[in-house]
Amino acid sequence: MSLAPVNDSVTVHRLIDDPYPVYAQMRTHTPVVQVPSVKRTMLTKAEDCRMVKDNPALFSSNDPTTPMEKAFEAHTLMRKDGEEHLRERNAMMPTFSPRNLKTIWGPMYERYAAEYLDRLPRGEVVDLFPTLAGPLAARILAECMGIPDASDEQMQFWSQALIDGAGNFGWFDEPFERVARANKEMNRVIEANAERVKAAPDQSALSVMLNAEDPIPWSQIVANIKIAIGGGINEPRDALLTIIYGLLSNPGQLEEIRASGNWSAAFEEGVRWVAPIQASSRLVLEDTEIRGCDIPKGTVVMTIQASANHDEDVYENGHLYDALRKSQPHQSFGSGPHHCMGTHMARMTVGRLLLPILFERFPNMRLENPEDVVWRGFGFRGPINMPVRLN
Amino acid sequence: MPRITFIAADGAETVVDAGEGDSLMQVARAHNVDGILAECGGEMMCSTCHVYVEGDWLDRTGPADEDERDMLDFAPCEITDASRLSCQVKITDDMDGLVVRLPERQV
Repeated sequence: MSLAPVNDSVTVHRLIDDPYPVYAQMRTHTPVVQVPSVKRTMLTKAEDCRMVKDNPALFSSNDPTTPMEKAFEAHTLMRKDGEEHLRERNAMMPTFSPRNLKTIWGPMYERYAAEYLDRLPRGEVVDLFPTLAGPLAARILAECMGIPDASDEQMQFWSQALIDGAGNFGWFDEPFERVARANKEMNRVIEANAERVKAAPDQSALSVMLNAEDPIPWSQIVANIKIAIGGGINEPRDALLTIIYGLLSNPGQLEEIRASGNWSAAFEEGVRWVAPIQASSRLVLEDTEIRGCDIPKGTVVMTIQASANHDEDVYENGHLYDALRKSQPHQSFGSGPHHCMGTHMARMTVGRLLLPILFERFPNMRLENPEDVVWRGFGFRGPINMPVRLN
Repeated sequence: MPRITFIAADGAETVVDAGEGDSLMQVARAHNVDGILAECGGEMMCSTCHVYVEGDWLDRTGPADEDERDMLDFAPCEITDASRLSCQVKITDDMDGLVVRLPERQV
Protein backbone atom coordinates (compact mmCIF):
# COMPACT_ATOMS: atom_id res chain seq x y z
CA MET A 1 0.00 0.00 0.00
CA SER A 2 1.16 3.57 -0.45
CA LEU A 3 0.41 7.01 0.80
CA ALA A 4 -2.33 9.10 -0.78
CA PRO A 5 -1.29 10.93 -3.95
CA VAL A 6 -0.23 14.56 -3.67
CA ASN A 7 -2.00 17.41 -5.44
CA ASP A 8 0.41 20.34 -5.67
CA SER A 9 -1.59 22.37 -8.09
CA VAL A 10 -4.57 23.25 -5.91
CA THR A 11 -4.18 26.63 -4.25
CA VAL A 12 -6.16 28.05 -1.35
CA HIS A 13 -7.31 30.86 -3.64
CA ARG A 14 -8.77 28.36 -6.07
CA LEU A 15 -10.59 26.63 -3.24
CA ILE A 16 -11.98 29.93 -1.99
CA ASP A 17 -13.17 31.06 -5.41
CA ASP A 18 -14.45 27.94 -7.13
CA PRO A 19 -13.86 24.66 -5.30
CA TYR A 20 -16.54 22.47 -6.86
CA PRO A 21 -14.76 21.63 -10.15
CA VAL A 22 -11.65 20.79 -8.10
CA TYR A 23 -13.62 18.40 -5.89
CA ALA A 24 -15.32 16.82 -8.91
CA GLN A 25 -11.88 16.05 -10.36
CA MET A 26 -10.71 14.65 -7.05
CA ARG A 27 -13.75 12.40 -6.68
CA THR A 28 -13.05 10.92 -10.10
CA HIS A 29 -9.28 10.59 -10.00
CA THR A 30 -7.90 11.02 -6.47
CA PRO A 31 -10.71 10.71 -3.89
CA VAL A 32 -8.14 10.58 -1.08
CA VAL A 33 -5.44 13.17 -1.73
CA GLN A 34 -2.78 15.13 0.10
CA VAL A 35 -3.13 18.86 -0.53
CA PRO A 36 0.02 20.66 0.62
CA SER A 37 -1.48 24.13 0.25
CA VAL A 38 -3.88 23.39 3.13
CA LYS A 39 -1.62 20.84 4.88
CA ARG A 40 -4.43 18.29 4.94
CA THR A 41 -5.37 14.99 3.33
CA MET A 42 -8.71 15.65 1.68
CA LEU A 43 -11.50 13.07 1.60
CA THR A 44 -14.02 13.84 -1.11
CA LYS A 45 -16.33 10.80 -1.22
CA ALA A 46 -19.56 10.74 0.81
CA GLU A 47 -18.88 7.31 2.25
CA ASP A 48 -15.42 8.26 3.52
CA CYS A 49 -16.55 11.55 5.04
CA ARG A 50 -19.37 9.86 6.93
CA MET A 51 -17.08 7.04 8.10
CA VAL A 52 -14.60 9.52 9.57
CA LYS A 53 -17.24 11.56 11.39
CA ASP A 54 -18.84 8.43 12.82
CA ASN A 55 -15.55 7.08 14.16
CA PRO A 56 -14.24 9.58 16.72
CA ALA A 57 -12.10 6.93 18.43
CA LEU A 58 -9.85 6.86 15.38
CA PHE A 59 -10.48 10.33 13.96
CA SER A 60 -10.17 12.82 16.79
CA SER A 61 -11.50 16.36 16.85
CA ASN A 62 -8.59 17.33 19.06
CA ASP A 63 -6.40 18.76 16.33
CA PRO A 64 -3.72 20.79 18.09
CA THR A 65 -2.40 22.43 14.95
CA THR A 66 -5.27 24.83 14.37
CA PRO A 67 -5.34 28.50 15.37
CA MET A 68 -8.73 27.98 17.00
CA GLU A 69 -7.54 27.91 20.59
CA LYS A 70 -5.78 31.24 20.21
CA ALA A 71 -8.79 32.79 18.50
CA PHE A 72 -11.29 31.61 21.09
CA GLU A 73 -8.91 32.05 24.03
CA ALA A 74 -10.06 28.59 25.09
CA HIS A 75 -9.92 24.93 24.27
CA THR A 76 -13.50 24.60 23.02
CA LEU A 77 -15.82 21.63 22.76
CA MET A 78 -15.39 21.66 18.99
CA ARG A 79 -11.89 20.39 19.56
CA LYS A 80 -12.66 17.83 22.25
CA ASP A 81 -13.71 14.19 22.19
CA GLY A 82 -15.55 11.74 24.40
CA GLU A 83 -16.98 12.55 27.81
CA GLU A 84 -15.49 16.01 28.09
CA HIS A 85 -17.02 17.05 24.79
CA LEU A 86 -20.36 15.52 25.68
CA ARG A 87 -20.52 17.21 29.07
CA GLU A 88 -19.87 20.65 27.61
CA ARG A 89 -22.29 20.04 24.77
CA ASN A 90 -25.04 18.72 27.02
CA ALA A 91 -24.70 21.79 29.21
CA MET A 92 -26.15 23.85 26.38
CA MET A 93 -28.63 21.27 25.06
CA PRO A 94 -31.69 22.26 27.14
CA THR A 95 -31.84 25.63 25.37
CA PHE A 96 -32.38 23.81 22.07
CA SER A 97 -34.91 21.29 23.36
CA PRO A 98 -37.81 20.64 21.02
CA ARG A 99 -40.15 22.29 23.52
CA ASN A 100 -38.10 25.47 23.74
CA LEU A 101 -37.83 25.67 19.98
CA LYS A 102 -41.57 25.35 19.63
CA THR A 103 -42.70 27.57 22.47
CA ILE A 104 -39.94 30.19 22.80
CA TRP A 105 -37.50 30.52 19.92
CA GLY A 106 -39.92 29.78 17.08
CA PRO A 107 -42.51 32.42 18.03
CA MET A 108 -39.74 34.91 18.85
CA TYR A 109 -38.09 34.30 15.48
CA GLU A 110 -41.38 34.89 13.68
CA ARG A 111 -41.78 38.24 15.43
CA TYR A 112 -38.26 39.31 14.51
CA ALA A 113 -38.65 38.05 10.95
CA ALA A 114 -41.79 40.16 10.49
CA GLU A 115 -40.04 43.19 11.97
CA TYR A 116 -36.95 42.85 9.78
CA LEU A 117 -39.03 42.21 6.66
CA ASP A 118 -41.09 45.33 7.41
CA ARG A 119 -37.95 47.41 6.98
CA LEU A 120 -37.24 46.23 3.45
CA PRO A 121 -38.26 48.65 0.70
CA ARG A 122 -40.48 47.44 -2.15
CA GLY A 123 -39.73 47.99 -5.81
CA GLU A 124 -36.02 48.53 -5.28
CA VAL A 125 -33.01 46.30 -5.65
CA VAL A 126 -31.95 45.32 -2.14
CA ASP A 127 -28.98 43.24 -1.05
CA LEU A 128 -30.48 40.67 1.33
CA PHE A 129 -27.12 39.80 2.89
CA PRO A 130 -26.69 42.91 5.05
CA THR A 131 -30.38 43.82 5.29
CA LEU A 132 -31.96 40.51 6.26
CA ALA A 133 -29.91 37.32 6.28
CA GLY A 134 -27.06 38.54 8.51
CA PRO A 135 -28.96 40.67 11.04
CA LEU A 136 -31.86 38.26 11.53
CA ALA A 137 -29.50 35.35 12.18
CA ALA A 138 -27.59 37.54 14.62
CA ARG A 139 -30.71 38.67 16.48
CA ILE A 140 -32.21 35.26 17.24
CA LEU A 141 -28.80 33.95 18.23
CA ALA A 142 -28.22 36.82 20.67
CA GLU A 143 -31.57 36.02 22.28
CA CYS A 144 -30.98 32.26 22.43
CA MET A 145 -27.54 32.69 23.89
CA GLY A 146 -28.77 35.05 26.62
CA ILE A 147 -26.98 38.18 25.45
CA PRO A 148 -29.93 40.10 23.97
CA ASP A 149 -28.26 43.49 24.49
CA ALA A 150 -25.54 42.60 21.96
CA SER A 151 -26.42 44.47 18.75
CA ASP A 152 -26.75 42.79 15.36
CA GLU A 153 -23.61 44.63 14.26
CA GLN A 154 -21.64 43.46 17.28
CA MET A 155 -22.77 39.87 16.88
CA GLN A 156 -21.78 39.85 13.22
CA PHE A 157 -18.44 41.51 13.90
CA TRP A 158 -17.63 39.04 16.68
CA SER A 159 -18.70 36.10 14.57
CA GLN A 160 -16.52 37.09 11.63
CA ALA A 161 -13.60 37.86 13.92
CA LEU A 162 -13.85 34.41 15.51
CA ILE A 163 -14.12 32.72 12.13
CA ASP A 164 -11.20 34.64 10.68
CA GLY A 165 -9.12 34.03 13.79
CA ALA A 166 -9.90 30.32 13.93
CA GLY A 167 -9.15 30.02 10.22
CA ASN A 168 -5.94 32.05 10.41
CA PHE A 169 -3.71 29.19 9.32
CA GLY A 170 -1.15 31.70 8.06
CA TRP A 171 -0.81 32.93 11.67
CA PHE A 172 -1.00 36.55 10.53
CA ASP A 173 -1.27 39.31 13.15
CA GLU A 174 -4.36 41.19 12.00
CA PRO A 175 -6.97 38.45 12.46
CA PHE A 176 -5.64 37.65 15.93
CA GLU A 177 -5.64 41.34 16.91
CA ARG A 178 -9.20 41.73 15.65
CA VAL A 179 -10.45 38.66 17.50
CA ALA A 180 -8.67 39.79 20.66
CA ARG A 181 -10.73 43.00 20.52
CA ALA A 182 -13.86 40.97 19.90
CA ASN A 183 -13.06 38.69 22.83
CA LYS A 184 -12.78 41.67 25.18
CA GLU A 185 -16.20 42.92 24.12
CA MET A 186 -17.79 39.48 24.24
CA ASN A 187 -16.38 38.76 27.70
CA ARG A 188 -17.83 42.01 29.00
CA VAL A 189 -21.30 41.38 27.55
CA ILE A 190 -21.38 37.75 28.68
CA GLU A 191 -20.32 38.68 32.23
CA ALA A 192 -22.94 41.40 32.49
CA ASN A 193 -25.67 39.05 31.32
CA ALA A 194 -24.50 36.34 33.70
CA GLU A 195 -25.52 38.56 36.61
CA ARG A 196 -28.88 39.16 34.99
CA VAL A 197 -29.76 35.49 34.35
CA LYS A 198 -28.55 34.43 37.78
CA ALA A 199 -31.16 36.77 39.23
CA ALA A 200 -33.82 35.86 36.65
CA PRO A 201 -33.18 32.48 35.04
CA ASP A 202 -34.60 31.77 31.60
CA GLN A 203 -34.10 29.20 28.83
CA SER A 204 -31.15 30.96 27.18
CA ALA A 205 -27.89 29.04 26.86
CA LEU A 206 -26.10 31.31 29.31
CA SER A 207 -28.81 30.86 31.91
CA VAL A 208 -29.17 27.12 31.42
CA MET A 209 -25.42 26.57 31.72
CA LEU A 210 -24.93 28.89 34.69
CA ASN A 211 -27.92 27.74 36.68
CA ALA A 212 -27.34 24.03 36.14
CA GLU A 213 -27.07 21.82 39.23
CA ASP A 214 -23.50 20.88 38.37
CA PRO A 215 -22.33 23.65 36.05
CA ILE A 216 -19.37 23.32 33.71
CA PRO A 217 -16.45 25.71 34.42
CA TRP A 218 -17.05 29.39 33.67
CA SER A 219 -14.26 29.34 31.06
CA GLN A 220 -16.18 26.68 29.13
CA ILE A 221 -19.52 28.46 29.50
CA VAL A 222 -17.94 31.49 27.85
CA ALA A 223 -16.26 29.27 25.24
CA ASN A 224 -19.58 27.62 24.39
CA ILE A 225 -21.27 30.98 23.86
CA LYS A 226 -18.42 32.01 21.57
CA ILE A 227 -18.65 28.78 19.61
CA ALA A 228 -22.32 29.51 19.03
CA ILE A 229 -21.53 33.07 17.97
CA GLY A 230 -18.77 31.90 15.66
CA GLY A 231 -20.88 29.16 14.16
CA GLY A 232 -24.47 30.30 14.48
CA ILE A 233 -24.69 33.34 12.24
CA ASN A 234 -22.95 32.56 8.98
CA GLU A 235 -24.59 29.15 8.52
CA PRO A 236 -28.24 30.22 8.65
CA ARG A 237 -27.32 33.39 6.77
CA ASP A 238 -25.49 31.57 3.98
CA ALA A 239 -28.10 28.83 3.84
CA LEU A 240 -30.91 31.35 3.44
CA LEU A 241 -29.14 33.27 0.68
CA THR A 242 -28.22 30.07 -1.14
CA ILE A 243 -31.82 28.85 -1.05
CA ILE A 244 -33.15 32.21 -2.25
CA TYR A 245 -30.70 32.04 -5.14
CA GLY A 246 -31.67 28.45 -5.91
CA LEU A 247 -35.38 29.15 -5.95
CA LEU A 248 -35.22 32.45 -7.83
CA SER A 249 -33.02 30.99 -10.54
CA ASN A 250 -35.36 28.01 -10.90
CA PRO A 251 -38.84 29.57 -11.08
CA GLY A 252 -40.50 26.27 -11.98
CA GLN A 253 -39.25 24.74 -8.74
CA LEU A 254 -40.36 27.79 -6.78
CA GLU A 255 -43.89 27.44 -8.15
CA GLU A 256 -44.04 23.77 -7.18
CA ILE A 257 -42.73 24.44 -3.69
CA ARG A 258 -45.24 27.25 -3.28
CA ALA A 259 -48.02 24.90 -4.34
CA SER A 260 -46.91 22.01 -2.13
CA GLY A 261 -45.81 24.15 0.81
CA ASN A 262 -42.79 21.88 1.18
CA TRP A 263 -40.33 24.63 2.05
CA SER A 264 -38.28 22.14 4.05
CA ALA A 265 -37.33 20.46 0.78
CA ALA A 266 -36.08 23.79 -0.58
CA PHE A 267 -34.10 24.25 2.62
CA GLU A 268 -32.51 20.78 2.64
CA GLU A 269 -31.58 21.08 -1.01
CA GLY A 270 -29.97 24.47 -0.42
CA VAL A 271 -27.75 23.24 2.38
CA ARG A 272 -26.91 20.14 0.35
CA TRP A 273 -26.08 22.12 -2.78
CA VAL A 274 -23.71 24.60 -1.14
CA ALA A 275 -22.89 23.36 2.35
CA PRO A 276 -22.35 26.41 4.60
CA ILE A 277 -19.62 24.44 6.38
CA GLN A 278 -17.71 22.87 3.53
CA ALA A 279 -14.90 21.06 5.31
CA SER A 280 -13.88 19.75 8.75
CA SER A 281 -10.59 18.45 10.10
CA ARG A 282 -9.92 15.33 12.13
CA LEU A 283 -6.62 14.09 13.57
CA VAL A 284 -5.81 10.45 12.82
CA LEU A 285 -4.89 8.65 16.07
CA GLU A 286 -3.61 5.33 14.66
CA ASP A 287 -2.16 4.19 11.35
CA THR A 288 -5.08 3.37 9.10
CA GLU A 289 -6.15 3.02 5.50
CA ILE A 290 -8.81 4.77 3.48
CA ARG A 291 -9.81 3.62 0.00
CA GLY A 292 -6.50 1.76 -0.39
CA CYS A 293 -4.29 4.65 0.75
CA ASP A 294 -2.13 4.43 3.86
CA ILE A 295 -3.03 7.14 6.34
CA PRO A 296 -0.33 7.34 9.01
CA LYS A 297 -1.03 8.28 12.60
CA GLY A 298 -0.77 12.05 13.02
CA THR A 299 -2.21 12.85 9.60
CA VAL A 300 -4.90 15.51 9.61
CA VAL A 301 -7.68 14.43 7.29
CA MET A 302 -10.23 16.87 6.01
CA THR A 303 -13.74 15.66 5.27
CA ILE A 304 -15.08 17.75 2.41
CA GLN A 305 -18.82 17.86 3.06
CA ALA A 306 -19.18 20.11 0.04
CA SER A 307 -17.88 17.30 -2.12
CA ALA A 308 -19.69 14.49 -0.28
CA ASN A 309 -22.92 16.36 -1.02
CA HIS A 310 -22.21 16.28 -4.76
CA ASP A 311 -20.94 12.68 -4.86
CA GLU A 312 -22.03 10.94 -8.07
CA ASP A 313 -22.49 7.71 -6.09
CA VAL A 314 -25.31 9.38 -4.17
CA TYR A 315 -26.76 12.13 -6.39
CA GLU A 316 -27.67 12.59 -9.98
CA ASN A 317 -26.65 16.06 -11.16
CA GLY A 318 -25.50 16.97 -7.68
CA HIS A 319 -24.04 20.22 -9.00
CA LEU A 320 -27.55 21.54 -9.68
CA TYR A 321 -30.03 23.01 -7.21
CA ASP A 322 -33.16 20.89 -7.44
CA ALA A 323 -35.67 21.41 -4.67
CA LEU A 324 -37.83 18.68 -6.22
CA ARG A 325 -35.07 16.10 -5.93
CA LYS A 326 -35.98 12.81 -4.29
CA SER A 327 -35.02 13.32 -0.67
CA GLN A 328 -31.37 12.34 -0.24
CA PRO A 329 -29.19 12.38 2.83
CA HIS A 330 -26.57 15.12 2.91
CA GLN A 331 -23.73 15.80 5.31
CA SER A 332 -24.08 19.52 5.86
CA PHE A 333 -24.93 19.11 9.54
CA GLY A 334 -22.21 16.51 9.98
CA SER A 335 -22.75 13.29 11.87
CA GLY A 336 -21.56 11.57 14.99
CA PRO A 337 -20.96 13.28 18.33
CA HIS A 338 -20.26 16.69 16.76
CA HIS A 339 -23.50 16.68 14.76
CA CYS A 340 -24.55 20.32 14.46
CA MET A 341 -26.36 21.48 17.56
CA GLY A 342 -28.25 24.13 15.63
CA THR A 343 -29.72 21.67 13.12
CA HIS A 344 -33.28 21.77 14.41
CA MET A 345 -33.09 25.49 15.01
CA ALA A 346 -31.97 26.07 11.40
CA ARG A 347 -34.51 23.67 9.91
CA MET A 348 -37.28 25.36 11.84
CA THR A 349 -36.32 29.02 11.55
CA VAL A 350 -35.03 29.18 7.99
CA GLY A 351 -36.85 26.20 6.48
CA ARG A 352 -40.27 26.17 8.03
CA LEU A 353 -40.73 29.75 9.20
CA LEU A 354 -38.79 32.30 7.17
CA LEU A 355 -38.96 30.92 3.61
CA PRO A 356 -42.78 30.84 3.40
CA ILE A 357 -43.09 34.24 5.09
CA LEU A 358 -40.51 35.79 2.74
CA PHE A 359 -41.98 34.44 -0.49
CA GLU A 360 -45.51 35.28 0.62
CA ARG A 361 -44.56 38.83 1.48
CA PHE A 362 -42.67 39.37 -1.80
CA PRO A 363 -44.38 37.03 -4.28
CA ASN A 364 -42.69 38.66 -7.26
CA MET A 365 -39.19 38.86 -5.82
CA ARG A 366 -36.69 38.75 -8.69
CA LEU A 367 -33.00 38.10 -9.05
CA GLU A 368 -32.36 40.41 -11.99
CA ASN A 369 -28.73 39.57 -12.66
CA PRO A 370 -27.83 36.16 -11.22
CA GLU A 371 -24.29 36.67 -12.53
CA ASP A 372 -23.86 39.56 -10.08
CA VAL A 373 -24.02 37.16 -7.16
CA VAL A 374 -20.55 36.41 -5.80
CA TRP A 375 -19.82 33.14 -4.03
CA ARG A 376 -16.87 32.77 -1.74
CA GLY A 377 -15.29 30.50 0.80
CA PHE A 378 -13.33 27.34 1.39
CA GLY A 379 -14.08 26.30 4.99
CA PHE A 380 -17.32 28.24 5.07
CA ARG A 381 -19.06 29.11 1.82
CA GLY A 382 -21.99 31.15 0.62
CA PRO A 383 -23.02 34.14 -1.46
CA ILE A 384 -21.55 37.41 -0.22
CA ASN A 385 -24.35 39.44 -1.80
CA MET A 386 -27.91 38.77 -2.93
CA PRO A 387 -29.28 41.72 -4.89
CA VAL A 388 -32.98 41.13 -5.48
CA ARG A 389 -35.86 43.37 -6.52
CA LEU A 390 -38.59 43.06 -3.90
CA ASN A 391 -42.20 43.10 -5.02
CA MET B 1 -29.15 -13.87 17.31
CA PRO B 2 -32.44 -11.98 16.99
CA ARG B 3 -33.61 -11.68 13.40
CA ILE B 4 -35.06 -8.33 12.44
CA THR B 5 -37.07 -7.23 9.42
CA PHE B 6 -36.98 -3.66 8.15
CA ILE B 7 -39.76 -2.77 5.70
CA ALA B 8 -39.03 0.30 3.58
CA ALA B 9 -41.74 2.80 2.64
CA ASP B 10 -41.93 1.17 -0.81
CA GLY B 11 -42.48 -2.26 0.74
CA ALA B 12 -38.97 -3.64 0.18
CA GLU B 13 -37.96 -5.94 3.04
CA THR B 14 -34.48 -6.34 4.51
CA VAL B 15 -33.96 -9.16 6.99
CA VAL B 16 -30.84 -9.05 9.15
CA ASP B 17 -29.34 -10.74 12.19
CA ALA B 18 -28.85 -8.35 15.07
CA GLY B 19 -26.24 -8.40 17.77
CA GLU B 20 -27.77 -8.42 21.23
CA GLY B 21 -27.21 -5.19 23.10
CA ASP B 22 -26.90 -3.15 19.92
CA SER B 23 -29.49 -0.52 19.23
CA LEU B 24 -31.91 -1.01 16.39
CA MET B 25 -30.27 1.97 14.67
CA GLN B 26 -26.82 0.38 14.94
CA VAL B 27 -28.18 -2.82 13.43
CA ALA B 28 -29.68 -0.89 10.52
CA ARG B 29 -26.48 1.06 9.91
CA ALA B 30 -24.29 -2.03 10.17
CA HIS B 31 -26.35 -3.67 7.43
CA ASN B 32 -26.66 -0.54 5.27
CA VAL B 33 -30.43 -0.46 5.60
CA ASP B 34 -31.55 2.47 3.47
CA GLY B 35 -33.81 4.95 5.16
CA ILE B 36 -32.06 5.18 8.54
CA LEU B 37 -29.86 8.27 8.52
CA ALA B 38 -28.89 8.46 12.20
CA GLU B 39 -27.06 11.73 11.72
CA CYS B 40 -26.14 12.15 15.37
CA GLY B 41 -24.90 8.60 15.80
CA GLY B 42 -27.30 7.61 18.56
CA GLU B 43 -27.30 10.52 21.00
CA MET B 44 -31.01 11.22 20.52
CA MET B 45 -30.23 14.62 19.12
CA CYS B 46 -31.41 14.40 15.56
CA SER B 47 -34.61 12.38 14.93
CA THR B 48 -33.32 10.88 11.67
CA CYS B 49 -33.65 7.21 12.68
CA HIS B 50 -37.44 7.15 13.04
CA VAL B 51 -39.18 3.76 12.67
CA TYR B 52 -42.69 2.40 13.21
CA VAL B 53 -42.71 -0.75 15.34
CA GLU B 54 -45.06 -3.25 13.73
CA GLY B 55 -48.08 -4.66 15.56
CA ASP B 56 -47.67 -6.23 18.98
CA TRP B 57 -43.89 -5.83 18.94
CA LEU B 58 -44.42 -2.53 20.70
CA ASP B 59 -45.05 -4.60 23.84
CA ARG B 60 -41.45 -5.78 23.66
CA THR B 61 -39.77 -2.54 22.58
CA GLY B 62 -41.94 -0.35 24.73
CA PRO B 63 -43.21 3.04 23.57
CA ALA B 64 -41.14 6.23 23.28
CA ASP B 65 -40.67 8.08 26.56
CA GLU B 66 -41.37 11.78 26.92
CA ASP B 67 -37.93 13.02 25.80
CA GLU B 68 -37.99 10.74 22.80
CA ARG B 69 -41.47 11.89 21.84
CA ASP B 70 -40.32 15.50 22.03
CA MET B 71 -37.46 14.71 19.69
CA LEU B 72 -39.77 12.77 17.37
CA ASP B 73 -41.67 16.02 16.86
CA PHE B 74 -38.84 17.01 14.54
CA ALA B 75 -39.29 13.98 12.30
CA PRO B 76 -40.92 14.95 9.00
CA CYS B 77 -43.31 11.99 8.66
CA GLU B 78 -46.41 11.20 10.68
CA ILE B 79 -45.78 10.27 14.31
CA THR B 80 -47.93 7.45 15.68
CA ASP B 81 -48.04 5.49 18.92
CA ALA B 82 -45.75 2.98 17.17
CA SER B 83 -43.10 5.61 16.42
CA ARG B 84 -39.67 5.10 17.96
CA LEU B 85 -36.22 6.53 17.44
CA SER B 86 -34.37 3.35 16.57
CA CYS B 87 -31.25 4.50 18.44
CA GLN B 88 -33.27 4.20 21.64
CA VAL B 89 -34.43 0.61 21.06
CA LYS B 90 -31.95 -1.82 22.56
CA ILE B 91 -32.06 -5.29 21.01
CA THR B 92 -32.78 -8.11 23.46
CA ASP B 93 -33.10 -11.84 22.77
CA ASP B 94 -36.89 -11.72 23.07
CA MET B 95 -37.01 -9.49 19.98
CA ASP B 96 -36.27 -12.32 17.55
CA GLY B 97 -38.66 -11.75 14.64
CA LEU B 98 -39.13 -8.01 15.29
CA VAL B 99 -40.59 -6.12 12.35
CA VAL B 100 -40.28 -2.36 11.90
CA ARG B 101 -41.45 -0.12 9.09
CA LEU B 102 -39.48 2.87 7.83
CA PRO B 103 -41.00 6.26 7.10
CA GLU B 104 -40.85 7.75 3.62
CA ARG B 105 -38.12 10.16 4.64
CA GLN B 106 -36.06 11.20 7.65
CA VAL B 107 -35.50 14.89 6.89
